[in-house]
Amino acid sequence: MRREILLAALLLGTSGLVAGCDQLKKVAGGKDVVVKETEFPERVLWGDTHLHTANSVDAFGFGVRLGPEEALRFARGEEVTSTTGLKAKLPRPLDFLVVTDHAEGLGATKALYDAPRLLIRDETMLRWYDMMHEGPAGSQRAMAEILDARGRNALPKAMLNQDGTAERTKSVWNGNIDAVERYNEPGKFTAFFGFEYTLMQGGNNLHRNIVFRDGPDRVRTVVPLDPTYKATPDEIWSYMEAYEKATGGRVLAIPHNSNLSNGLMFELTQPGGGPMTAAYAKRRARHEPVVEITQIKGDSESHPFLSPNDEFAGFGVAGWELNNLLGNQPKVSSMFAGEYVREALKRGLLLEQQMGVNPYKFGLIGSTDSHTALATADENQFFGKHTGNEPNPARATQEQNLGTRKGRFGWHYLASGYAAVWAKANTRASIFDAMARREVYGSTGPRMTVRFFGGWAFKENDLKGDWVRAGYRRGVPMGGELSASKKGAPSFIVSALKDPIGANLDRVQIVKGWVDKSGKLQEKVFDVVWSNPEKRKPAGGKVPAVGDTVNVATASYTNSIGAPTLAKVWTDPEFDPSVRAFYYVRVLEIPTPSWPAFDAVRYKLKLPPEVRVKQQERAYTSPIWYTPTKA
Amino acid sequence: MPSSRDLAVAVLREPLVHFLVAGALVFLVLSGRPPNATERRIVVDEPVLESIFNRYVQSFHRPPTPEEIDGLVQDYIRSEVYYREALRLGLDRDDEVVKKRMRNKMLALSGAEAEATQPSDTELQALLDKDPARYAAPPRFTLQQHYLGADTPTLRAAAKAAIAAVKPGSAPDLPTVTSALPDRFDDASPSDLAAEFGDEFAESVSKAPVGRWTGPVLSGFGLHVIKIERLTKAPPPRLEDVRQSLENDWRFAAVRKAEDESFKSMLRGYDVVIERPR
Repeated sequence: MRREILLAALLLGTSGLVAGCDQLKKVAGGKDVVVKETEFPERVLWGDTHLHTANSVDAFGFGVRLGPEEALRFARGEEVTSTTGLKAKLPRPLDFLVVTDHAEGLGATKALYDAPRLLIRDETMLRWYDMMHEGPAGSQRAMAEILDARGRNALPKAMLNQDGTAERTKSVWNGNIDAVERYNEPGKFTAFFGFEYTLMQGGNNLHRNIVFRDGPDRVRTVVPLDPTYKATPDEIWSYMEAYEKATGGRVLAIPHNSNLSNGLMFELTQPGGGPMTAAYAKRRARHEPVVEITQIKGDSESHPFLSPNDEFAGFGVAGWELNNLLGNQPKVSSMFAGEYVREALKRGLLLEQQMGVNPYKFGLIGSTDSHTALATADENQFFGKHTGNEPNPARATQEQNLGTRKGRFGWHYLASGYAAVWAKANTRASIFDAMARREVYGSTGPRMTVRFFGGWAFKENDLKGDWVRAGYRRGVPMGGELSASKKGAPSFIVSALKDPIGANLDRVQIVKGWVDKSGKLQEKVFDVVWSNPEKRKPAGGKVPAVGDTVNVATASYTNSIGAPTLAKVWTDPEFDPSVRAFYYVRVLEIPTPSWPAFDAVRYKLKLPPEVRVKQQERAYTSPIWYTPTKA
Repeated sequence: MPSSRDLAVAVLREPLVHFLVAGALVFLVLSGRPPNATERRIVVDEPVLESIFNRYVQSFHRPPTPEEIDGLVQDYIRSEVYYREALRLGLDRDDEVVKKRMRNKMLALSGAEAEATQPSDTELQALLDKDPARYAAPPRFTLQQHYLGADTPTLRAAAKAAIAAVKPGSAPDLPTVTSALPDRFDDASPSDLAAEFGDEFAESVSKAPVGRWTGPVLSGFGLHVIKIERLTKAPPPRLEDVRQSLENDWRFAAVRKAEDESFKSMLRGYDVVIERPR
């Protein structure tokens, strides 16, 4: 497809291309496959809802030349050759993928790159054009300047020519649809249609990924919404509503990198100030059932500033806590509360108490946000945020600036994360529906299997036999809601399995958040079940650290500590039926080497002491909410 | 006796030769190539005008005015003159931007045909016959599993003993660990089992006997005993069932092959000499 688009750009005629693809699709045909849903979700499906290819304006600028087709083949477990010529293959295939190229200037950088040079009138664009053709280093410099210009609203007018880009967007979008459809195989591998709505306000990240439930017939009736012209979240919701109304289809939005929004992603007020309205809250909750909590550009669960009593808070915040996405506005600590997911869940409770609607009642997933067309979140298989950071000896300690200003280094980027979905079948409809009901969780990379049920009468001996079925029958799964009962405190079944080819588990925790009687936001992390309990007795309310088997010199660890499985029925010992609350599960692995440690071994590097060489990877489930009945 | 190639290499290393060659090049560049009639004729005919017109419409979404057309035509002539003079002076040579651009154009041309081609059933059948296993539906296992816990020598021995002592119609007498691992799988493929337990377990299942308890079997979690109740092997794949996969693979390979072949055929027209300094 990439090549057809390229050819089309050469010939400056795109209509023939689109027609050609349609025909191709018709001939290729494909049988109608009927995939039956199971009674309840039996197997967790792993995927990436956030992946960029050569069609993304920045990914291409950063050097990637792989398109959606290579991305899909890689996610399905095929070997592909990365842009820098390295062979890449996932040790295990994924179950689904959403290619989310940036809507704005879909294919624009590529079009600039492919344009006849004589047609480029704008001097700045001409300079970028020449830099991009110099090679990878020039291309990355050009991209840094383009992003910076975008953050400052200083892009050349010719690049913003809305009418001129519409035709190109449509042709890239149609090409993308064809590739995705070819690789979608119901029951085996799901390829979703989607795009990224890269909403940015002065370099503050308000990005959303848009995922369609539907097939090509419906999706082809729209083109991705470009935030350059429509620049508030309401605009994307209006777009989604219009799509659903016109086609009868379904679409959802997944916000990400709240950690780089400088406090704007999860505000207590209406965007721009003033009290939040119930109408706004309702709209947001309806369209955004899931939030991406972890990815390459850091982890957004919580910050030590917000969770001083949580010794595991602050995973992957180094480098990202300094400023916003483009690094053009420093961060002050008062912004953290609007940036991290745990705090947003608490704010949601408060807002619900005040106006009856919770705008932040969302589930949690992880995804990569990789710009290399390679959806990998494995530490030993890390291909970097963009093509300039594909494996090379310098990347761990190199300065990495999205804009042109200082502050971030290679090792701040995480080999994270993946989305886990409890769907009843591997199809677009089933996976989408699981996201819509928030029966999902996020991982920083390892594929732990986590079950979480809430109910009113679970007892310790319920964790026997066919307890999963019982969990669904007598309670609600992750993402569900509990309302008041006369039977005392809610009880929860929580079970975690290690990644079958990964590290043992340290512990399973339940994070509770609530609004106290005085209206203050509260949180508490409960250690629910942990490995080696006979040796690790809680002291001062904390379970001692699990230990550490990491050998940095060889980038290895052993499973001689931790446990392969942990499970428990837990009842909230501090339950107050009059107080609204949420509960989510955090599963911690034992310490394992992080990607810079693998680089150090591969390239015989001596890393400076500040570089993170080991970490405790983790999974976060969607919460279960408790709401008191109205007094 | 030095071969003619050795001699050529030796001559090429000679500074005097370098000087002469460089001089000849300068002479050539400055004097220009001999002009030919078509190179000296700039025709603004209907196709050219149409293309100028269309590009304008594409950029500005309105037709150009007659004055604008005049301006565009003058600009086209100016571009052509500069372009041809630049070529005559050899300014396209050793220009990295030009080289890269030309390379991309060639690449796009060589792959585009394959991308748009519809493979015949014969071609697809040949691809299928080459590696039927790749396209075959996987075998399906219906099985029971009991998870015993982390792998220890004691547990291994206990599992072996229990398997040896198991009576027909009953399960091995072993304490099991409750976990989120399903006790039963219906028609699971090896890749389903690998996703759940790891590759090692899936391989063990593929080799295990059908109809009786066996073990211990190792997984990423530890030890298990398993009983395969039913194994359903898929019939050999038919073209109709796997057409989309075949087409995807065919097209992916065809585009790359076309690029590679067109490069190789062009390369055949060249003598490539790599001189490494000794």
